[in-house]
Amino acid sequence: PEVQQVAKKIRPPMHEYIRKLLYKDLSKVTTEKVLRQMRKLDWDDTEIAFYATKSLIAVWNVRFNSIHCAANLLAGLAPYHEHVAIQVVDGVLEDIRLGMEMNHPKFNQRRVSCVKYLGELYNYRMVESAVIFKTLYSFITFAVSYDVNMPSPLDSPEHLFRIRLVCVLLETCGQYFDKGTSKKKLDCFLIYFQRYYWFKRSNAIWVEETRPFPIDIRNLVQDTLEAVRPKLKLSENFEEALKACEDLENEYKPRVASVLPIIETDEGNTSEADDNLTT
Amino acid sequence: MTQSKSEKSSIVVDRKKEKDKPPTKVVIRRLPPSLTPETLLEQISPLPNHDFFYFVKADLSLGQNAFTRAYINFQNHEDVFIFRDKFDGYVFVDGKGNEYAAIVEFSPFQRVPKRKSKKSDAK
Repeated sequence: PEVQQVAKKIRPPMHEYIRKLLYKDLSKVTTEKVLRQMRKLDWDDTEIAFYATKSLIAVWNVRFNSIHCAANLLAGLAPYHEHVAIQVVDGVLEDIRLGMEMNHPKFNQRRVSCVKYLGELYNYRMVESAVIFKTLYSFITFAVSYDVNMPSPLDSPEHLFRIRLVCVLLETCGQYFDKGTSKKKLDCFLIYFQRYYWFKRSNAIWVEETRPFPIDIRNLVQDTLEAVRPKLKLSENFEEALKACEDLENEYKPRVASVLPIIETDEGNTSEADDNLTT
Repeated sequence: MTQSKSEKSSIVVDRKKEKDKPPTKVVIRRLPPSLTPETLLEQISPLPNHDFFYFVKADLSLGQNAFTRAYINFQNHEDVFIFRDKFDGYVFVDGKGNEYAAIVEFSPFQRVPKRKSKKSDAK
């Protein structure tokens, strides 16, 4: 049979050069060097600046193990090209959001890469913890239905990919949420995450004998939670996870009520705002 | 210039002040892929006082999921809601008559460039 030849995209030399720097050369030992070359680009040329920015966003082209280098690189570029750094962060967040809206398996690896990148951008202090928590909550709330009879097309019962994304983000930067308000915020999030997880896992489509809930997801969640909160006692079923959320909300209700008049005038674009109140 | 993760000492200092401020940076998403910044500005004018605007071209490789979007930082917090009420769900129509309902939201990342003389990169 004839092998279909994929036409090689012809790119201008400058584009090829930027791609070579970011997608071939970039590694732990070359980060400094690549940064120097990236700084030398003619950032005043809008076409070059646009392509370089686009390439910095497209982190799924970077070797997965070098994603932290891309974050490091961007942090190094930020003092000189703040607008570029901002556009890259905006672009990564947009890709994560659009990924949920498209929800096509062919983008799964791309989505994992973007989420990992975001976590590394937190580690290199390009984004604050609020951005990480907004993203975490978006995974367990955006177009999510907690009504078994009304499954969401964007997050159907057998769709477990959001769990993976949460775990990737927690694996990447969760260990730094170990003190102060970010610690508390993560504790709250983990309670809601377990509710999401158990809601998925207790769905009737999973039948122990014929179609058990995937073991790799079970292990992934367990390993991830253990890594960020070794002492945490995990919920063992949906009822327990639900109860933990109710307890948390009851605990915070008086406090939320006292500030609610202010909050009500504030915009919350998704149900995520509701969760954020308790964090 | 690069740094090890453990140091975590960096340029983007956690800006306490900014955290307490209400968000003012807005993103308008899911706009027609063929839209240009000029046309967008025309359609949303008069735009209230803002100190930051940028437009992002569509990634056409995404096919039917290719959209343009724009970021705006308003100077008055109240303008955010007026803008949202006006343009969230607003239907933009491209040259071929295709309809695109825009989504207006707070940008998850609220940072905008600091207004200071540009530090030139001596490289």
